[in-house]
Order: sequence, then structure tokens, then C-alpha cells
Amino acid sequence: MASLKDIRMRIESTKNTQQITKAMKLVSAAKLRKAQHQIVNMRPYAHSLLKVIANIAITERVNHPLITPKQEVKKVLLLVLSSDRGLCGGFNAQINKFTDQYIKNNKDKYEAIDFIFIGRRASDFFSKRKLKVIESMQRLDKDISYALASKVAEKVMHFYLDGQYDEIRLIYNEFKSAISQAVVCETLLPVDLEKETLTATEGHVSGFAVDMIFEPRPEKIIDQLLVKHFSVQVYRCMSESVAAEHGARMTAMENATNNAKDVLSRLTLFYNKLRQEKITTELIEIVSGAEAL
Amino acid sequence: MFKLFFATPDKKVVTDADLEEITLPAFAGELHILPGHAPLMTTLDAGILRFKLKTGESQKMAISWGYCQISSDGVTVLAETAVSGQEIDIKSIEQHLKKNENLLLNETLDDNEWQKAQHEISRLRAELELLSERSH
Repeated sequence: MASLKDIRMRIESTKNTQQITKAMKLVSAAKLRKAQHQIVNMRPYAHSLLKVIANIAITERVNHPLITPKQEVKKVLLLVLSSDRGLCGGFNAQINKFTDQYIKNNKDKYEAIDFIFIGRRASDFFSKRKLKVIESMQRLDKDISYALASKVAEKVMHFYLDGQYDEIRLIYNEFKSAISQAVVCETLLPVDLEKETLTATEGHVSGFAVDMIFEPRPEKIIDQLLVKHFSVQVYRCMSESVAAEHGARMTAMENATNNAKDVLSRLTLFYNKLRQEKITTELIEIVSGAEAL
Repeated sequence: MFKLFFATPDKKVVTDADLEEITLPAFAGELHILPGHAPLMTTLDAGILRFKLKTGESQKMAISWGYCQISSDGVTVLAETAVSGQEIDIKSIEQHLKKNENLLLNETLDDNEWQKAQHEISRLRAELELLSERSH
């Protein structure tokens, strides 16, 4: 039977925990807003980049290694985006599960599946497995910038162009809303230009003159644009993953705070009952003691 | 109507503003664009971009790689980075510049690394140039 003091201590510690979870929730909310802002800011750039690519692709026949699928896909490079820190609900567990499933399903299909882990959680989870890890990166949430994304993109692109890998895929949490994320697996390279340009222009192209002057030649321009487009894609996925992480953490901390509240009210009730009982017992003792006299 | 749309991955710098004139560090040399220019698409090198809006507001920014599309209804500029004079910290630029210049002296560099360092240097030089222009 717990004594009054024990329960009082438990109430205190629950209160402390609740304060921490509440603070974490607020911090995540602020970070989420920042991450969302980043996504919104990037959109006009990404959109007009894609529009120009689509425009050129329509007037000129484009043939570029980044957009032509390899005839036979043997080696796959998988980028896995997770977070560095925990306490964010199912965020990392979902990523790990999905990746695990992917390995199981595709083990026999390809000659090799290699990995780049971005974020500590996934790389820790898979560290005991015999996977070929090219690189693990950390501290994504602190300095996610376009510069970082383009560095990653450049590295991966060289792998692809050198023929080390035939396909490059990215597994990450897509940011749907503050309370919901979904794990998606996206093919980064080769770029599926047709699908993407179609969504950018919604099927029609406007404001593009036929007698456009190109400086340098269109092939050169599209070459550079595709590289940038790829960097932007990587940047977008990273930003989404960061936003999703903060969203997941916010929800998890909200739930934790609510749970703490429930626990507190139950404990308080129990504490009061126990206190009342004790008083009653003492009273009875006094009364019966007095009667005996 | 001749509009300017100018964006980087991090921010929209200018959208939907009436443009009077713009000077760009284009691939083949500096370009000065006035309304009514022939349709043109070009890549941009690192350098200084200047533009003046119909409202009389004018601005100078140092950009790194970018591209620009000129059509009958306006100019679209997308740049990898764009900084104005106020955002530049001269000390850190000089440090970076030195670091990259030292990198170039290193003979073990492969083509990619070499190119990257070159890019960085031209970006940083453009930013320095912007600063020196401001102080005149």
C-alpha cells in the first residue's frame, strides 16, 4: 500500500514531466512553422524552374543521361531520411519499417541495394544489419539549407552518372499536415520529366515564343537546369521530412501532455481518498479511545 | 506590361513588379534589358544583378549561378543565391575566399572539386565586388 508521501512524490514527478512535454510541444510548433515557411518559399523557384524545363523540352528534343532510364536496373542506391532525435511518435519507426519491407521485397530483384542514411535514427536501427552503407549524415534539423541539399544531390548525381548505380530512390516522410505524415518512396534519378512537367504546366504551355534566342545552346541550358532541378527535388524532400518530423513530435508531445493530465487527476483523486481514509481512522481511534476511558 | 519575377530556393525576392530596366551577368557578358526586348533565354554567371522598378525603387544583388528568361510580358530570373549589400559579412567572405583559393593550389583535386572551388570563388568575388561598389 502506497503511503501518502509516495503518492505526493509521484504527483510531483508527473507534473514535471508534463511541463517538459508541454515545452517540447511549443518548441516543435515553432520549428514546424519555420519548416513550413521554408517549403512555401521554395515553391515559386521550383515551379518556374520546372516550367522552363518543360518549355524547352517541348520545343527541343531533349536527350540527357539524367532523364533517360537505364535499360536494366541492377544497382539501386537508397537514401533514407530520418530524424536525429527521438520522441516524435511513429516518425522513425515508420521509416524503418518501410525500409525493412523494401529490402525484403526487392532483395532478389536487384544485384545490390546500397544506402545513404541521413539522420541518426535510421542509421542506428540498421547498423547491426549487414548493409552496405555509403554514408551516414547527421544533424539535419539544425542546418537544412539549400547548400546542404545541393551538396548531397551533387554527390548522388555523380554516382549515377558514373554508372555506379542505375536508380536512385529516396525514402522519406511526406508532410501532409501538422498531424499526419506518410512514408513515400520516390525515384530521384532518372528524373521522370514527362510526369513532372505535366503537373507543372497542367498540360499547356504559354508565354513561350517560337523565335526564342538561346544563350548558350538549348542542350547546354537544359543540362544545367536539370542539375538544378534535381537539387531542388532533394531540397524539397529534406524540407518535407523536417516539417513532418516537427509535426510528428508536436502531436506526440500533445498526447503525452494529455496523458500526464489524466494520470495527474487519477493520482490526485487517489491521494485525497487516502488522506480522507486516514483522517477517518484517526478520528475513530480518538473516539473509541475516549469511550474506553 | 513588363514584369519582374526573381526567386531563389530560399525566398522570393521580387514578384509581379513593373520593371523599368535590369542588368544581368549573363553567360556571354553583361546584358541590359529594357521592356520590349526580344525573347531570350540565357544562363547567368556569378556577378551583380541590378534592376530598377517603375516605382523608382532600385536594387543591387550579388548572385551566383542562375538563369533568366525574357519574354514579351516580362523577365523571370532564378538564381541559386542572391544577397544584397546589407547581408554580406566581409570578414567571413575573405576567409572563405582564401580557403577556396588555397584549395585550387592543391593538385590532388579532381575535376569536380576544382570546379566547385572555382564556383565558390566567383560567387564570393561577386559579393565582394558588390560591397566595394556600395562604399564608393
